Amino acid sequence: MGKYILKRVLQFIPVFLGVTLILFIMENVVPGDPIKLMAGEKKLDPQTEINLRASFHLIETDTDGNPIYDENGNTIETPLVQRYFLYLNGLLHGDLGVSYQRSGQSVSSIIAAKYPYTVRLAIVAIIIEAIVGIGAGILSAVKRGSFWDILVTLITSLLVSMPAFWLGMLLQLFFGIQMKRWTGGAWYLPISGVGSKYSEFQPWMYYILPALTLAAISTAYTARIMRSQLLEVMNQDYIRTARAKGLSRRATIYHHALKNALIPVVTYIGMDFGAMLSGAILTETVFNWPGIGYETYRAIQSRDWPIVLGSVTVIVLVVMVINLVVDVSYAFLDPRIRFGAPKDQG
Amino acid sequence: MEENKNNLPEVNAISKDAEQPEGNSTNRDSNEPEHSSSAPTRTLWGDAWRRLRSNKLAVIASVWLLIIVVIALTADLWVPQHFGSPTETDSSTMTSNSRLPPSWEHPFGTDTLGRDVFCRVIYGSRISLSVGLLATAISTVIGLIMGALAAYYGGIWDTIIMRLADIFLAFPYMLFVIVMLAVFGGGIQNVFIAIGVLGWPSIARVFRSSILSIKENDYVDAARAMGASDFRIITRHIFPNSVASVVVYATMNIGGAILTEAALSYLGMGVTPPNPSWGILIEDGQQYLSTQPWLMLMPGIAILTTVLAFTLLGDGLRDALDVKMKDA
Repeated sequence: MGKYILKRVLQFIPVFLGVTLILFIMENVVPGDPIKLMAGEKKLDPQTEINLRASFHLIETDTDGNPIYDENGNTIETPLVQRYFLYLNGLLHGDLGVSYQRSGQSVSSIIAAKYPYTVRLAIVAIIIEAIVGIGAGILSAVKRGSFWDILVTLITSLLVSMPAFWLGMLLQLFFGIQMKRWTGGAWYLPISGVGSKYSEFQPWMYYILPALTLAAISTAYTARIMRSQLLEVMNQDYIRTARAKGLSRRATIYHHALKNALIPVVTYIGMDFGAMLSGAILTETVFNWPGIGYETYRAIQSRDWPIVLGSVTVIVLVVMVINLVVDVSYAFLDPRIRFGAPKDQG
Repeated sequence: MEENKNNLPEVNAISKDAEQPEGNSTNRDSNEPEHSSSAPTRTLWGDAWRRLRSNKLAVIASVWLLIIVVIALTADLWVPQHFGSPTETDSSTMTSNSRLPPSWEHPFGTDTLGRDVFCRVIYGSRISLSVGLLATAISTVIGLIMGALAAYYGGIWDTIIMRLADIFLAFPYMLFVIVMLAVFGGGIQNVFIAIGVLGWPSIARVFRSSILSIKENDYVDAARAMGASDFRIITRHIFPNSVASVVVYATMNIGGAILTEAALSYLGMGVTPPNPSWGILIEDGQQYLSTQPWLMLMPGIAILTTVLAFTLLGDGLRDALDVKMKDA
């Protein structure tokens, strides 16, 4: 087991380096000179500009941080490779740079303020996904071919084929706008933002529609995987044995089949938590949710690259760590993985 | 040669009914779809076609896709004549035509600038279909080359390519596309490229695992023993046998690419206005959600039905070609 974990962690390192390298390259091919973008309309005097460049390690400096000049009195650009290592070093210390537009606010502080909203929304969505997805999957596998099975299949097919942001708008239209009209303003849900202490809604009500939107597509996939896994497991010999020794169908399903069928489902849901953190950009934009996704969207609009790349970096790294944890716990749940046996014999 | 027959059903792509012609599969490219030496030969593709036709949902999906493709291709011939230009605004009628409800004259109503939404949805199908097909074509070509290199040569090639795929897959896909477009700018060409280039790892993986299982077959050894070149073995023996899984995967991928394009255009990073992408139409309609909901409903329904059709067709092909896929 320890060996397997070690192997997975070692595999993580080249992927981590590759991902950060891609992000670093992106940061450096972004159009426009970062110092000029920071200055905006203002004209910088040359010495301030050199000092700024030095402080961002865009040019070579001595150990005191003073710029080094060549024999012609020009500054020397820091080689890209060296800047990559400086960037990595900053990254490992939680330094993601400074926003261009928001008067020198650090990207990490902006992200730290927005991240909790995204995580909270993702947690609510994951709970919905787990309960509804697993429930619907079991129902549809146990009652295979019934009305319920067809209904679940139909709904999941529709959900995976529609844009999530459009689904969000449908929910806004139905539960926000139309519901308000039909009930004469007595019962409807908030469709934007998180409210304040003066708003007429309870704080939790703001979560309902964004969380449903964020969860919808994954819930459909969870239900599909749950269904196919349960059907596959129920075909296996040990289930037939359990039935043969006289266990009821119900007991066989809930005590024997479900345990094994759940393993890949739980893995999927775990991985999906990471995907939700990144998928949030659309949902948060539709609902004006003040999380990291909406922040990224706004930063893209205003060309504030440090915020864009900073939040992408954070999301990617969090997703990678979550996937690693899920992978390792998968091995924990399913001994076949860590002993390298073939996973599936049909 | 006994081994050969026993191995067949385990090969991902080959249907159980698609019998190999006996024995001499070594020097005949018996799995070529075009191959039909005697009259009633049953080929993999013939069988698949028969099974596909009996799948009602897949047939409906194909018909729907055919309708959309025909409408998209012939739009210039009849749409502007009846519904006006999809992009230009007529300033004389702009205010009087602004955001009209659906009617016979304007089946999906009109937008703020007085343009017919039905017309814009139809022209939007051109963008969605071309992004879906072209981006998928790009991913498929890159994925096939990478997958073939990794699986066939193995060793260091395999390690490098699969690690590269891991790095690409470690990025949440949507986020990766957004960053690419944020950095390199929007516009339809960049949308093609971004969605296409970033989609290769999953196709490479599918193709690689399919080759790996086919490579073990005796007929590949036999071809090599007869002196066939690597290129010939890949193109004549391995590719025809693994193409089924790629076809299924690519079909399903088209729907995904359409959804991605819609999302990008919605965020304002994809196709640029006044071009009528479905994502842009939804974004336009969003602000009139409470007063003119049809503005966002119609393009959304267009996306839903098109993507659903590609998914159903993909499902149908999967069953017809007997391709085993992970979770589905």
